[in-house]
Amino acid sequence: MIFRILLVALLISGAATTHAFDLGGLVKEITKKPTEDSASEQQQTKQPGLLGLLGGTPVEEEIAIGREISGRLLGAAPLVKDKHLQRYVNQVGAWVAKQSGRDDLVWHFGVIESDDINAFAAPGGYILVTKGLYKKLHNEAELAGVLAHEVGHVIKQHHLKILKQGQLIDVGGGLLKQKVGGDDKGQAIGKMIGSGAEILARGLDKNAEYEADRIGVVLAARAGYDAYALPSVLQEIGHVRADDSSVALLFKTHPHPEKRLVELGDAMDGHAEQFDDGKVLADRFYRLKGMSKAF
Amino acid sequence: MKTVQWLICVALLAFVAPLVAEPGYIIRSSDLMDEPYRDATSLAELEEGAPVEILKRKGGWLQVESAGKSGWVRMSKIRKGKAPTQPAAESEAGGVLDLASGRAGTGNVVSATGVRGLNEEELKEAKFDANEVDKLESFAVSEQKAARFAQAGKLIARELEFIPAAAQ
Repeated sequence: MIFRILLVALLISGAATTHAFDLGGLVKEITKKPTEDSASEQQQTKQPGLLGLLGGTPVEEEIAIGREISGRLLGAAPLVKDKHLQRYVNQVGAWVAKQSGRDDLVWHFGVIESDDINAFAAPGGYILVTKGLYKKLHNEAELAGVLAHEVGHVIKQHHLKILKQGQLIDVGGGLLKQKVGGDDKGQAIGKMIGSGAEILARGLDKNAEYEADRIGVVLAARAGYDAYALPSVLQEIGHVRADDSSVALLFKTHPHPEKRLVELGDAMDGHAEQFDDGKVLADRFYRLKGMSKAF
Repeated sequence: MKTVQWLICVALLAFVAPLVAEPGYIIRSSDLMDEPYRDATSLAELEEGAPVEILKRKGGWLQVESAGKSGWVRMSKIRKGKAPTQPAAESEAGGVLDLASGRAGTGNVVSATGVRGLNEEELKEAKFDANEVDKLESFAVSEQKAARFAQAGKLIARELEFIPAAAQ
């Protein structure tokens, strides 16, 4: 009986999660671990998550991981205390994210208290933009472009893939052989993510950034916005002095905006006709104190 | 065929958000192209520091006027604003990074007071803040509300394919 259930679990995991973390025996091992509420056979038939660690579905795990990472980032830089701003950013973000097709996620967007120029995406649809970057924007299309770039990271699971690689190393080190479940669940996520929000300081492969740029312009265009707004933001950021501390982390974790502009410009060149006629919506753009109304 | 393409291109430009003409200057010597494409014809070479008038933008390209000639230059080769008085003199490599590192002496200086950075160390030390995440989640907007918001802005969703990286 147990054997049959395990077989079913394996089949489900194989069939339903094409992107699943293929650990073979380990998945079996982990899904067998007792969880908080029960160690019943039912648990074993549950589709194991991407990382096969927490006993939830892949989406549940993705959200739990993203919630933890963004909560830590918020610990370092809280939300700007302006509910109109936060609501506005969520309206733009939700509309852009809707174009990504990942409607299994509830998307969350926020502007955080930091003069740095940066934006962060965590798995599960958590996206945070610094006030420093927000103040560089001129219109709603530019905000949409920035958020769409981050949505690109989420739908391509760029950070999850990094965590997955970390897991592989940890498996070798025997870390996962410990019992996982119940009260240890949070701890397991913690171990996976590492210290604080360092995963966000590590940066992704440059090709992941170029890919997110390409996804960003398409999502913005799908949403009806001017697709060229994201390149415009890149140009603006490219003008910030490289030794300015506000871009230190951004420039460390991303290719220089100039390089991104060239890559993105080249990719968009052959598809100009699909990017026409987008809206800029400068009038509706929510401006913070001291933001200019220039174009 | 080429003419038709060019006409389509011009027609498209009419829809691209026009910029108010503003001054800029060349930060890295660059060709002035007749069309906003890599394989377009070069009309002239613009020297580093050359002042330009930025007319409009299309993709990664800006349409500029310089010394009576009009054409297209890559966004990344241009910096907005007035050219510094001694553009090349202080710059050794003459690249964008030299200019970006402040040798050009223009703007974007962040005030030293009240700066709240987010460096690696701070991120590493960051502690989970449950209240802030709850607050973040409380602002979530439903799909229906997002659609209404889009409608209010006359945003029309379009079906478009993702684009591949340009062939090297």
